[in-house]
Amino acid sequence: MALDVISQFNNKIEEYQPIVGKNVIDELRLLGNHLAGKRIQNVNSTFSGGGVAEILSRLVPLLNQLGIDARWDVIQGDEAFFDVTKKFHNALHGRDQDISDDDLEIFIQTSRKNIDEMRLNADVYFIHDPQPAMLVSRKPELQGKWIWRCHIDVSHPNQRVWEFLNQYVCKYDAAVFSAPAFSQKLPIRQFLISPSIDPLSDKNKELSSGQIEAVLNKYGLDPAKPMVVQISRFDYLKDPVGVIDAFEMVRKGIECQLVLAGGTATDDPECAVVLDQVRDRADGNPDIKVLLIPPGSDIEINALQRAATVILQKSLKEGFGLTISEALWKSKPVVASAVGGIPLQVINKFTGLLSHSVDGAAYALKQLLSNPDLASQLGKNGREHVKQNFLITRHLKEYLLLFIALDHESDIIYL
Amino acid sequence: MIEWIQENWIILAVPVAVFLAFCIVGLWARRVLYNRLDKLLIKSGWGGREVLVQTTRGPFFFWFMLLGAFAAMKFSPLPVEAQVLAEKIITSVFIISIIWLLIILTNRLLNLFLDDIKSPKPPGKFITNGVRVTILLLGVLILADYWGWPLAPVILLLAAAILVAVVASRDTILNIFSGFEIAAAHNIKEGDFIKLSSGEEGYVTDMTWRTLTIKTPDQHTIIVPNSKLVRETVINYGRPLKRASKPFHFYTRLHLKELTGLKARNLTGLVNILKSVPDSVVYYHTHHFLEEHQFLTPEPANDFALWVDDSLDEHVLSEKLANIDTFAYSSLGALKSSIISVIEQYTADNPSSRLVKGENDFHFIKSTSVVLPTPYFASDLREFIEVLRKITIDSLYYHIFESRLRLQKRSNDFSVWIKDSFGEHDLADKIDSLVPYTSTIEAMRSFIIQNIEKRIK
Repeated sequence: MALDVISQFNNKIEEYQPIVGKNVIDELRLLGNHLAGKRIQNVNSTFSGGGVAEILSRLVPLLNQLGIDARWDVIQGDEAFFDVTKKFHNALHGRDQDISDDDLEIFIQTSRKNIDEMRLNADVYFIHDPQPAMLVSRKPELQGKWIWRCHIDVSHPNQRVWEFLNQYVCKYDAAVFSAPAFSQKLPIRQFLISPSIDPLSDKNKELSSGQIEAVLNKYGLDPAKPMVVQISRFDYLKDPVGVIDAFEMVRKGIECQLVLAGGTATDDPECAVVLDQVRDRADGNPDIKVLLIPPGSDIEINALQRAATVILQKSLKEGFGLTISEALWKSKPVVASAVGGIPLQVINKFTGLLSHSVDGAAYALKQLLSNPDLASQLGKNGREHVKQNFLITRHLKEYLLLFIALDHESDIIYL
Repeated sequence: MIEWIQENWIILAVPVAVFLAFCIVGLWARRVLYNRLDKLLIKSGWGGREVLVQTTRGPFFFWFMLLGAFAAMKFSPLPVEAQVLAEKIITSVFIISIIWLLIILTNRLLNLFLDDIKSPKPPGKFITNGVRVTILLLGVLILADYWGWPLAPVILLLAAAILVAVVASRDTILNIFSGFEIAAAHNIKEGDFIKLSSGEEGYVTDMTWRTLTIKTPDQHTIIVPNSKLVRETVINYGRPLKRASKPFHFYTRLHLKELTGLKARNLTGLVNILKSVPDSVVYYHTHHFLEEHQFLTPEPANDFALWVDDSLDEHVLSEKLANIDTFAYSSLGALKSSIISVIEQYTADNPSSRLVKGENDFHFIKSTSVVLPTPYFASDLREFIEVLRKITIDSLYYHIFESRLRLQKRSNDFSVWIKDSFGEHDLADKIDSLVPYTSTIEAMRSFIIQNIEKRIK
């Protein structure tokens, strides 16, 4: 399965050269030479849906092209296990979540099964998110370096879940977080590595005006009317209802339309419930379109973002919020909540506008919809910011550096 | 048989005498002619004298022998048909010997003179083989014509063979003609530093009629076909400049952000933690914005100034922190002491320390640097600026910022090398005077390149 997923995204490393420059690619090769042949085994919980799978599907082949023996496996679990991990996810994000002893037992039993059955054989075990975290129990037997990659916002975690997870996290050699606020007091080294977007992916590549128009026609959107777009999974933490509230405040004075578009993930059973609530809330408002985009519709997402006048990301909690980088890469002005990794991408008034409430989001939307010059300047800065800091080549570089740093303790490493 | 010879000895003696007479005349003529020719050629100073004389001396006598044999046939008692056949054979041998001689002579002369051509070096084997084949073909045609063989199919066959050869080696032929063009123009010489519009650059180390070889600053050898060279726009920077005894090796520094897990919620916490953290933390918070916000001019102030402004509303302190001149400190320890001193002075004058707004704690981050050599070297200032154009901002960052402050060198690496290698004090000082904290790294790159270009013009 991993091979099938990876084979869909086999961009050659040279193809990034026109975007980031030859020197950047040369630097990656230089680092790759120092790690040639190293076996890196990535493990997460799904091959499709969500940012982690998307990033791995692209990073793993690029690592291979640099001479590193990178692989990707997923743990197995039934519906009950993924219900529990979804609860973990919400609880780690700080939401009130009732976690019972039975839930913990389900997590432990499924993890043990994976520990027993999963073939692990590498120099570096790169374990993504809480679902496979217990695999570290095999560290004494397998040796090697173990990294826990946390993609979610754990700045205010539910203490019961965090303490449960922490007993495993402490066994790793290092943890990687996406934003400074997510770091915890841990006895292991912690690194800050932001995720990234792939400028060559269907979701981010350039599109013709014909392609964009076709998508707008398909969903019955008016290309002449200013469009506010939020792209995200139908998840409470993305606050889609709050988005509608903010939009309705703006719509009173400015002619515009709202598009709420997103999909579902195989490890997120809550999506359908949220989608129903959003549809109920939007019902009767002709200026609001709620679009359930099936998996693999990346070009449609791309077209919607490119057609947007302003892109909104009004999350209550956010891991990193890659949809922000996607929007900025398309030179779009962005209004986003100052949560999770968003402030790393949206530098208030430089690359977008930050908000802390429904009112704040509505005010920022009005500013951008009424001032195209300001919107254009923010979009331009935003693209440059993403080019330097949030493209996949930077991500790749930092992973390579991480693998090197694991073998050194000093602040300056000479190779 | 003996009886027949005794009876007809006069008939036999005449052709033998004629043949011997031609041989004697041949020996005499060779002696006289070659003495004169040798003197004449010595006088003219022509380099091919020895080859010409030595190569033709033997065949010259051989031709007199053939002439003698030809004349002897006229006096021989052989039937007319046999005489005609013998004459044809003798004439054919003569033609073959001429062809053979021409092949050897041109081969030796070409080897002699092609070796004298230094740049671009001609494709010797290609030319000698070409001449050899041409003479051979002409010889075959003459012989065929002489024997009365039909020429049309032979010519057709030859034309087809030539066509196939031309098509098969069209690139080579194109390169050779381009080589003629380059040689005639005299625009490029070995040792010149050239740059092609397609990006290749370096010193020309070898020129042949087919290719041009360039040694690049990253020590690679590029072979450019002449046909490509004539199509490209080529900048020729001319002869090498003064070479440094020790080339400048470009390094790059890539950093990884390491979270310390430490965070401050007010000024007291900020100072207390700052006192205990390593220099790499101070380095990160005073320098990371230079790379991450490359596109912004002016760039944001250091993290401490930004945080006290945005999260504590301590605007006066923010301005004091932003105004700390990082460039004035030669060590991170001294810079850290200065930051701590400014905050402590401020809190002494303004004791009511505010708590952070919301959740905007100050998170202490450490910079872990990985320093690694690039393949780029520069031995003179021209190579230096060409490498400067292509290295990453990380590499520039390493040689300008890290060397001075974090590695506690007296100056940036570029200025030190320029001063030590070439004694170019003014240029080195100019680069050293660049304040790297008030412009983008790209602007610094341009500044350095422009100043060096001005100097080497």
